[in-house]
Amino acid sequence: MNRDDAKNILLLYRPDTVDVVDPQVTEALSLVKQDAELAAWLRELGARQEILRAKFRQIQAPAGLKEQIISEQAAREKIIVWRRVAALTAVAAAVVVLLTLAVFRFQSAGNDNTLALYQNRMVGAALRVYTMDLATDNPVQIREYLKQNHAPADYVLPAPLEKVATTGCAITSWQGAKVSMICFRTGKPLPPGEQSDLWLFVIDRDLVKNAPSAGPPQLAKVNQLITATWTQGDKLYLLGTEGDEQTIRKLL
Amino acid sequence: MAKGLDFESLVSCHYQSLYQFAFSLTRDEADACDLTQQTFCIWAAKGHQLRDESKVKTWLFTTLHREFLGARRKQVRFPHVELDQAAAELPVVPAISLNQLDVSQLLAALAHLDEIYRAPVALFYLQDHSYLEIAEILEVPIGTVKSRLARGLDRLHDLLTGKSATGTPSRPTDS
Repeated sequence: MNRDDAKNILLLYRPDTVDVVDPQVTEALSLVKQDAELAAWLRELGARQEILRAKFRQIQAPAGLKEQIISEQAAREKIIVWRRVAALTAVAAAVVVLLTLAVFRFQSAGNDNTLALYQNRMVGAALRVYTMDLATDNPVQIREYLKQNHAPADYVLPAPLEKVATTGCAITSWQGAKVSMICFRTGKPLPPGEQSDLWLFVIDRDLVKNAPSAGPPQLAKVNQLITATWTQGDKLYLLGTEGDEQTIRKLL
Repeated sequence: MAKGLDFESLVSCHYQSLYQFAFSLTRDEADACDLTQQTFCIWAAKGHQLRDESKVKTWLFTTLHREFLGARRKQVRFPHVELDQAAAELPVVPAISLNQLDVSQLLAALAHLDEIYRAPVALFYLQDHSYLEIAEILEVPIGTVKSRLARGLDRLHDLLTGKSATGTPSRPTDS
């Protein structure tokens, strides 16, 4: 190592730091002990470096910087906490809304099974253009057909209704269960293409919510038909025809 | 994990040296405060990822330096001119006695150095870090740190006193 090499190494040398354990620094310092000119250069360099080091160290952070950093961080953390609370609140609100919707839907699904809907659906079936599964004026055949197809067949007709001519039957469904649809003709003139003007629907009573308990038939206008609804035994009966209450009372 | 470090204690320990480094780089009090504060803000958000607590100081300085470089990149870039070529055009830093030097003159001279020399020179004089740590902070090899320092210190002495630190001819450009 010559003098210039030593200068290059010692230029980066900082006394009283870990630099002193650097083997190259150690070697350069040993050369300094033997070279008076190098030693003088190092003293001068050291003095200059110390002055500059002191100048850098004179840089002082403004008063209050530390407190500002700490207080702003605390404020930021509060905001973060509030954001988390807000986010959790939003999630909780969303869950409540979803649960409400689910409950509402569940209740709606339950409400699908009410007597009013049943009446509406069955009257709608009667008013639509439908095809009878069996066209016959023989009530025994109708009952037999319904029985074979596992639809309610052990129904009991009111005495006046027994006297009305049947035209056939069909099997429809309600909430997955079979409903017997017995078609009659009262004898009034019918529009072209129509075969029936009176319909009786029979279903197991337990399958319809709010079905009336045993008692006199309940009369109600549903869509274009006047209807009578009653329970007998384990069956729910729905009779519908065009006309008014008087018209249907005569059939009960 | 450095999760257990108390934020206030950490700030108390390091804000002064971080500010000195930031001010050396920016020469602006507000910018230096912002950089220092931003560094601790990043620590608060990401410091828990640091596994070795002994590296906290280096982590803070590295973060500050990255933030400084990031901020610089966003500024309008001026054409880069080698110091040797532009020396005659630079404002003259009068060759004065170092004893009469004040901090603003020192930092003005530092600002005349090419950007790659400023951070290592500042860290050299602040004397808070070994060369290995400076290399980690600047994210360059230790050999590069030493070559930049040698050239930077020589230039700084030249600007302040009119003569180089070693008295040797100008060094080759940094690798």
